[in-house]
Amino acid sequence: MSYIDVLKETQNVMTPGSSACQGCGGELILRRVMQIAGNNSVFAVPPGCMAGAGVDGWNFSNGCTAPIHITLLDNTASFMSGVSEIYQRKGRTDVNIVAIAGDGATADCGFQSLSGAAERGAKMLYVCYDNEGYMNTGYQRSSTTSMGSNTSTTPAGAAINGKEQQQKYLPLIMAMHNVKYCATASPSNMADLVAKIQKGLAASKEGFAYLHVFSPCPTGWKFASDQTIQVAKLAVKSNMFPIWEMENGKYKLTANNNPISVAEFVKGIGKFAKLTEEEIAAIQSMADARYATLKKLAAE
Amino acid sequence: MNDKRYYTPLGNDGMYVLDTAAWRTHRPVMNKEKCINCGICMGYCPVNSVYCEDKVFKISYDFCKGCGLCAAECPKKAIDMVPEGGK
Repeated sequence: MSYIDVLKETQNVMTPGSSACQGCGGELILRRVMQIAGNNSVFAVPPGCMAGAGVDGWNFSNGCTAPIHITLLDNTASFMSGVSEIYQRKGRTDVNIVAIAGDGATADCGFQSLSGAAERGAKMLYVCYDNEGYMNTGYQRSSTTSMGSNTSTTPAGAAINGKEQQQKYLPLIMAMHNVKYCATASPSNMADLVAKIQKGLAASKEGFAYLHVFSPCPTGWKFASDQTIQVAKLAVKSNMFPIWEMENGKYKLTANNNPISVAEFVKGIGKFAKLTEEEIAAIQSMADARYATLKKLAAE
Repeated sequence: MNDKRYYTPLGNDGMYVLDTAAWRTHRPVMNKEKCINCGICMGYCPVNSVYCEDKVFKISYDFCKGCGLCAAECPKKAIDMVPEGGK
């Protein structure tokens, strides 16, 4: 069954009108995860863009037809561990336990509880939509923000030229927790994303499953709203966001044999407008090193 | 769209959906002569405004925000973004 058939046959779990920005990558990912998980699920969406857009129902004008919790920014994974545990004890193993969080609630604030839940092997699927910053409050830097990004806390100016540090590569850190399933995906490869959500949901019945999804943000990154998928495509092609999965300790990398340069990826994006040649070279070497590491892991 | 559509029995007066169609400056119009019904637009629509009826894909304007992703990603360029003519 192709992914189009899967999407055709599943129902909208989130209300049709949501106040996420036009062309939002996060909303696209949220809807795909929710519609594939279906109504027989318990969701948790911590504060962030998607909760701000109203999927938790706080503004009485959007919502969700399945049970949903607005957890705190830092306890999403531990909260859902508890929810998962009570459903196990009640014998309701058919219920999907799904957490959908931004990169701030995953890599920064929520990392302690996420790491704990992954180590305990809590039976849940944790999806991170990585828009590389705290977009809901006006794009402050996060640990997954890529180097040279012009954010509101690292403004490009006389003193600094955007974020000075390289991004933290969270998916590999999560894979090293020996979780049941860990994968990265991009909305531009929709067939791959849908397959990985299904695999993740299946793996969440046996242990901890983690999905890291690239989520371009037209408002924060400053590009046109119809370019979201194009930006995601370029990120995959330039190895800025390699696509791979880890299942029971086996790594599988989606090969990208003729990568384009990072310079081509950063070209149309407003937050990278002031990058210097040296910074582009630094990002390029980081991307190359990361791809080489993944290639070695997937080699066996 | 002034009448609110009832969605879930939550909150003080029930829960209603937001009229995001009012944000739209351009509307996507499908050219059915070029369209091959591949469904790629449905996969990429962040609002789930593209739906399938009798094996034919259609766009619902009830909540479409007019982001233009479907038009940009259509492999046959069968979707045009037409400026909204006002109410």
